Amino acid sequence: MLLLKDLRLEWRQKYAVSGILLYVLSTVFVVYVAAGETTPEVWNSLFWIVSLFASVNAIVKSFVQENSARALYYYVLFNPIAVILSKIIYNFLLLFLLIVVAYGAFIFFIGNPILQFDLFFTALLLGSLGLSTALTFISAIASKANNSASLMAILAFPVIIPILLAVVQLSSYALQEVTMANTSSSIGNLIAIDLVLLAVSMPLFPYLWRD
Amino acid sequence: MIKNSYKLIGVLILIYSFVVGMIVPLTPGIVKISPQRANTGEKLTVQVKGYNTHFQQAASSLRAWLKLSEEYAIAGEVAEVQNDVDLVLRFQVPAFLPIADQVKETSLIMDNAIDGSSVLPSAIFISQDSVNITLGDELWRRTPIEHLSERTFTTFPFRNILQETIRNTYFHVSLWFAMMFLFIAAVWNAVAYLRKSNPFYDIRSVAFTQVGLFFGLLGVATGAIWAKYTWGAYWSWDVKQNTTAIALLIYFAYFVLRNSFNDSERKARISAVYSIFAFVALIVLIYIIPRMADSLHPGNGGNPAFGGEDLDNTMRMVFYPSIIGWTLFGVWMASLITRSEKLNEQLLELE
Repeated sequence: MLLLKDLRLEWRQKYAVSGILLYVLSTVFVVYVAAGETTPEVWNSLFWIVSLFASVNAIVKSFVQENSARALYYYVLFNPIAVILSKIIYNFLLLFLLIVVAYGAFIFFIGNPILQFDLFFTALLLGSLGLSTALTFISAIASKANNSASLMAILAFPVIIPILLAVVQLSSYALQEVTMANTSSSIGNLIAIDLVLLAVSMPLFPYLWRD
Repeated sequence: MIKNSYKLIGVLILIYSFVVGMIVPLTPGIVKISPQRANTGEKLTVQVKGYNTHFQQAASSLRAWLKLSEEYAIAGEVAEVQNDVDLVLRFQVPAFLPIADQVKETSLIMDNAIDGSSVLPSAIFISQDSVNITLGDELWRRTPIEHLSERTFTTFPFRNILQETIRNTYFHVSLWFAMMFLFIAAVWNAVAYLRKSNPFYDIRSVAFTQVGLFFGLLGVATGAIWAKYTWGAYWSWDVKQNTTAIALLIYFAYFVLRNSFNDSERKARISAVYSIFAFVALIVLIYIIPRMADSLHPGNGGNPAFGGEDLDNTMRMVFYPSIIGWTLFGVWMASLITRSEKLNEQLLELE
């Protein structure tokens, strides 16, 4: 139900999502103007940099947008676990959409060096799950502080770098024609990171929530 | 008295590990030799540079071999002992190798009554033009390596790339272990704060984090000095160096977060939550990510793990105590910070 609420809220503020999508498209355009035709490795790193900044921009408002009256309303009505879970799922869907759009824009403007599509898709899925969990949680922390937006960046970047390193490596395997020997262990690591982040943010969130 | 004895124990252990860690000499070893190539049948004169050796004192018992494999070796003779660390050896390289390869590497083994035996792996490459395995077999079996002497004093292992910097183990590695223990203590206190809401736990958690971060910075600094010596640069963008830098950033962010609250109850609660979250990210960074990439550190990317020959029993006698010493010292520092913070709060209340 909360998930539906978030979706409906987003639908009402269509300009926000379309703003972020436009942001993705224009960054990809700038990337092409600046870098031109690139090698697959550069393509990979540029792709994840664009996705990273788009995700931070998209998620920063997820708790900040809730005004205090509405927060109190939720606090009375819902279990905090349900709140964080619905936020994470909603942000996961949003990020996945964003990253897929970014991928589409990259194909359209720059080209598609991905040779193993299923592997790349796995990387996108696991990467957006990890990013959405970490960023949602950090935005919950930052929303409690005075200067949320800049604090969000400071707190989030060190925490998402492990996810980003893992996901960049996994998608670099997708650039190869042959399956690399340690692909499955790399996927395993990424799943482990995602699960650990989920497992930590669930029990900790009630303490953030209580105000 | 008993409550505070850990401070005394910590300081005594640290003094012990400083003194022993600095005084015990390295095992005598061979630093370099020249030339490093030879042909079969050649009369070879080799200049040897030793380290911590006692060539002059032990001149009468000096022996040397070129070792090709377990069963094949040739003995050499000492031509001239120049001083304790320089000498000249002479070898009569046999006319054939006992194998069919064109080039084969041999190790130099030296032995004397004081220093015991020392080895320089891949010392001399011997090439042959024609092959005669049977004759080579006979020639290389004449002078087997036997009756090696025992070293007469206690030492730390000699490693050609590390040399004296092997003593940094007691600082770089131990500080790093102590930092981990302090961060665990910080997380423990953060959890305790969330459960009991007693401000005392918050103060303690912050104190442990501060000391842990300080130890982490010292660990990076000692590591950078070590890296300059062994890898050639203070910072080589090694995966573990990078993850460490990020881990330290996480803890800097922790202090930025604390400074952005006015309400102290809220500050304590939210920073405790972040501290637990950050610790989990730290574990991922330090124990999962480095496994996915090659590292210059021991135990990664085909490098031998630290341990085995590098960490012998003499070093363990200093290394393990130094971890305990640094940890106890860090706990003492944290307890001082905790006490001064508590006094500060009382002072504020009085005003």
